[in-house]
Order: sequence, then structure tokens, then C-alpha cells
Amino acid sequence: MAIFTYEIKNLYFQYPTSAPLFKGLSIKIKEKEWFGIIGPNGSGKTTLLKIMAGLLMPQKGTVLLFNNNIFSLTPKERAKIIGYFPQENFFIFDFTVKEIVLMGRNPYRKRFSFITKKDMEIVERAMELTGTIEFKDKKINELSTGEKQRVILARILAQEPQVLLLDEFTTHLDIAYQIELINLLKRLREAKNLTIVFLTHDLNLASLTCDRILLLAKGEFVGCDTPERILREDLIEKVYKVKPIIKPHPLTNRPLIIF
Amino acid sequence: MKCRKIIKIFFLSLFFLLIVFLSLFLGSNGFFFDKTIILNIRLPRMILGFLAGGSLAFCGAVLQGLLENPLCDPYILGIASGAAFGVSFGYFISKLTYFITPIFAFLGALWAVLLVYNLAFYKGKTNKLTLILAGVIVSFLFSSLTMLFMVFSKRPLNEIIYLLMGNLAIVFNKLNLTIFIIVNSLTIIFLIIISSYAFELNCFALGSEVAESLGVNTKKFMRILFFLISFIITAQVAFAGAISFVGLVIPHLTRFLFGSNYEKVLPFSFILGALAVMGADIIARSIAPVELPISIVTTFFGAPFFLYLLKKNL
Repeated sequence: MAIFTYEIKNLYFQYPTSAPLFKGLSIKIKEKEWFGIIGPNGSGKTTLLKIMAGLLMPQKGTVLLFNNNIFSLTPKERAKIIGYFPQENFFIFDFTVKEIVLMGRNPYRKRFSFITKKDMEIVERAMELTGTIEFKDKKINELSTGEKQRVILARILAQEPQVLLLDEFTTHLDIAYQIELINLLKRLREAKNLTIVFLTHDLNLASLTCDRILLLAKGEFVGCDTPERILREDLIEKVYKVKPIIKPHPLTNRPLIIF
Repeated sequence: MKCRKIIKIFFLSLFFLLIVFLSLFLGSNGFFFDKTIILNIRLPRMILGFLAGGSLAFCGAVLQGLLENPLCDPYILGIASGAAFGVSFGYFISKLTYFITPIFAFLGALWAVLLVYNLAFYKGKTNKLTLILAGVIVSFLFSSLTMLFMVFSKRPLNEIIYLLMGNLAIVFNKLNLTIFIIVNSLTIIFLIIISSYAFELNCFALGSEVAESLGVNTKKFMRILFFLISFIITAQVAFAGAISFVGLVIPHLTRFLFGSNYEKVLPFSFILGALAVMGADIIARSIAPVELPISIVTTFFGAPFFLYLLKKNL
């Protein structure tokens, strides 16, 4: 039997003043899978991701993470498994880059103890991988948005997670860093059996990277399948209300979406 | 980097020694070396200033991170106005003697804090903005009641003004000395406990959702810290009065000098806060023919300094 990273059954969630979301959504995500979530604004993507991170409790349904109910795990246990990349990041105090990446070691720290050598090594490694080591002593608010995003990715890698939940993490990156970090994630996936849940507005990026894609519209399940079967002209037009042209990518044969 | 740090710490200790020397030996007519006066008047004053100033700045730093709001000060929880209300009420109903004033201040502050908690943690929800608003509203409510009792009680107003604006003059008898020792031992224990949460506080300053995703049990964490902080501030206000501005400015000064990492912000806020209040007390009791409430001094120097920091940061 294959190991499932996530098993989500009969999910139902409602914010106090708005319409219910998901209405019994059930999905399974395999280990090492690159799983995309797409959909127009307000389709409940971020909400779903927060539920999967254990940050929001659904009214009905279960979320199993490696066969454990995610809400019966302590935040520390969750943080050792899941690295969550939030869509918006604020820094009201000017921490240095190193201090922020070090916060990723919080789930491993014991009270009244100091930072260990191992912690420092992991942090340095995470900064090297994301190309943030060169400004490790800079203040976070002196960096550009894209640089900040790489710092946050480094912080998440310092958690040594088995699952990455990424909420639009390529938005502010230039194309070089998009490609570099996507390649980094691919390598990490091979090396550490990472499962990656990837939420994005960039349909082409989703097409090129994801094994399967979940398409949501207004909080409802539209489809969940391989990129070829989800990124179809009829489905995209139905959900996004714009007519796309879809061609196979010259190198990978994956669908290429042009508007 | 290392070298600059050592210089900073060197100057800080030098400054500390200077302040201790002045607060023990400087009187209104120059230097003074009378043993009884130093032991019975100056030393208690200095200890009170040290603990109150340090605790206020420490708690201000914690609250700013906890509520993700750099403009928070320790009185955001309604403690100062609650304490003032307790004392004005005491003056109104009885001939409150000097020695039991701290008890009334403590009870008033406790009541205010409980009210703020109940408003903010309504139905198990914890919302930072609600907490701030609840604190502001409860403060207004208690201030108006304080003014009401001030008008109706027949006591001279300056007694309550010293509590509202901070004063370190303290005379001990057996009763209030016992309370003082118990309360401050607890304060020190609580300060140590909170310091052990410094790393989680760092995470918390990035937002409670991020903190939760980094493994902080945010709900439990907030409750524990609010309990400890309310106790500390209440205890300090009960004896030293509501010294203003220290809890707001000193944490910012500390971040300016030593960076934002809470593992440094907490201890250095305490030291700088203690220094600020001890220093302000020296000025408050020696520049005018009457003793000034200490907030006049802290605010007079604190406000322009805060503006300077703001301008430098922008």
C-alpha cells in the first residue's frame, strides 16, 4: 500500500460570515508528490492550505497527516513535519536574516537550552541552498521582497520538514530565482522524499512542475488530476471565464496555456 | 562587531555604577553620606526604581512582540487606570492609610485586567486587536470612575497624583515590607520564566500564524505570558505608581542598540529600564523644591528621544 502524506475526507469549512467552503472535499496526496492547487481568487485555496497546515480547524471532516489526525498533534510535532510558507509576511521588528532562519529551529529547541552546533549547521546549509548566506547579517527590512521570500524559504528548510506547503511563493521572484528555487525543490524532493503542496496563480508553472493539480472554484471541487486532464480549454474557461489557447510544451509536452 | 558590543557593555556598566552612586549619595543639598538616610530612604528608593523600571521596560518589550504592535506599552491592559481607580475608591470609602494603599492599587488593577481578559478572550477566541481595544476601553472607564471619586473624596489631590504619575518615595513598615518582598520575589521568578520564552517571542513577532507553524502553541503561550505580565506590572504599579513612557521607549532603544532578537532585548530592556527610572528619580527629587512625580521626568526626556529614534529609523 502506498503511503499517503495527506488523507483529507469530507472536508467542510465555513468562515463566520460567508458561504461554506469545500462541501465534503476528499483528496489523498501521496508521499513525494508535487501537488498543485489552482483556482480563481476567493476559491478557498489559501484556506485549504491553512487547514492542511493545522492552522485552521474545519467544522467537519478529518485531515490525516501520515495517518495521524493533524489536530491531535502538538504544534511542535506538526512543525517538525510541515513547513508552511505564508502568502503574506510582515516584519514589524528588524530581525537579521540569520535570526529569522534560526527561528526555523524552534520546534527542536528545549526550554533553558542554547542553540546547538547542529542547529547552526542546518541554518547555514539552508541559507546556502537558498542563496541568502551572502546577506545573513543584514536586516530583513533592508531586503527586497524576492530576497525576503528566499529568507522565509530558508527558515522553512531549517525546520527539516517532510512536507512543504507553499502559498504563492514564486510571486515576487525574478525568473532566474523561480527556476533556481524550483530546481532546488525538485532536488530536495528526490533527496528527502519531500511532499510539496504548491499553491499558485501561474498556470504554466503548475503545468510544468505538478504531478497532479486540484482545481477549485468558489470553494468547490472542480477536478483533481494530472496537468493534461485539468488544464483543458473547457475547464479553464468554465472556471476563470477567459478563453485560453492550449498547446503542448515543445520540450516537455505538458500543456502550455496562452491567453 | 564583537568589539563594538564590548564597548557598549562597558559604557552601560559605567553608567550603571554612576547612577547607583548618585541615587545613593546625592541629596537636594549636594552629596550626603549619612548612614541612616542612605539605608532607610535612598536604598529602598533605589531598589524600587530598579525593579519597577526594569520590569516595565521588560514587559513593554514582551507586549510589543506579543501583540505585534510596536506602540504597545505595559498599560495597554488597563492596569494603570485600574490601580488608580482602586486607590481613589479607597480614599473615598475610608481613611486609607499609607501602608495599605498598594493593596487597593493591586486589587483595582486586578479587576481591570480581569475585565480586559474576559472581553478579549471571549468564547475561547484570542484576538490581538480586540485585546488592545478592550484595554483602551476599560482604561477610559476606570479613569472616569477615578476622577469621580477624586472629586468626591475630601483628600488632597496630590496623593493620588503621585500614584497616577509615579513616585518612588517609600516608607516601609512591617506589613508593606512583607508584601513588597513577597510580590517582588514572585516578580523576579516570573521574569526568569518569561525570559525562557525569548525564542518563542521571536517567532511570535512574525505573527501568530507563523509562530504556530513554527511550533509555538500560540493560545497557551499568550495566556501564560499575559498572566505573568499582568502580575508583574500590577505589582510594580502598586508600589511605584504608573511611571509612564519607560515601557514604550526603552524596548525601542534596546532594539536600536542591541538588535531585535528577544534573547537580547529582554535582559537589556530590563537593565536600561532600571537605569532610566533610577536616573529619572534622581532628577525628580533634586531639581525642584518639591519632589516631582517621576512621569514628568521620564516623559520630558522620553518623548523627544522617541522622536529621535523614529526619525533615525525612517
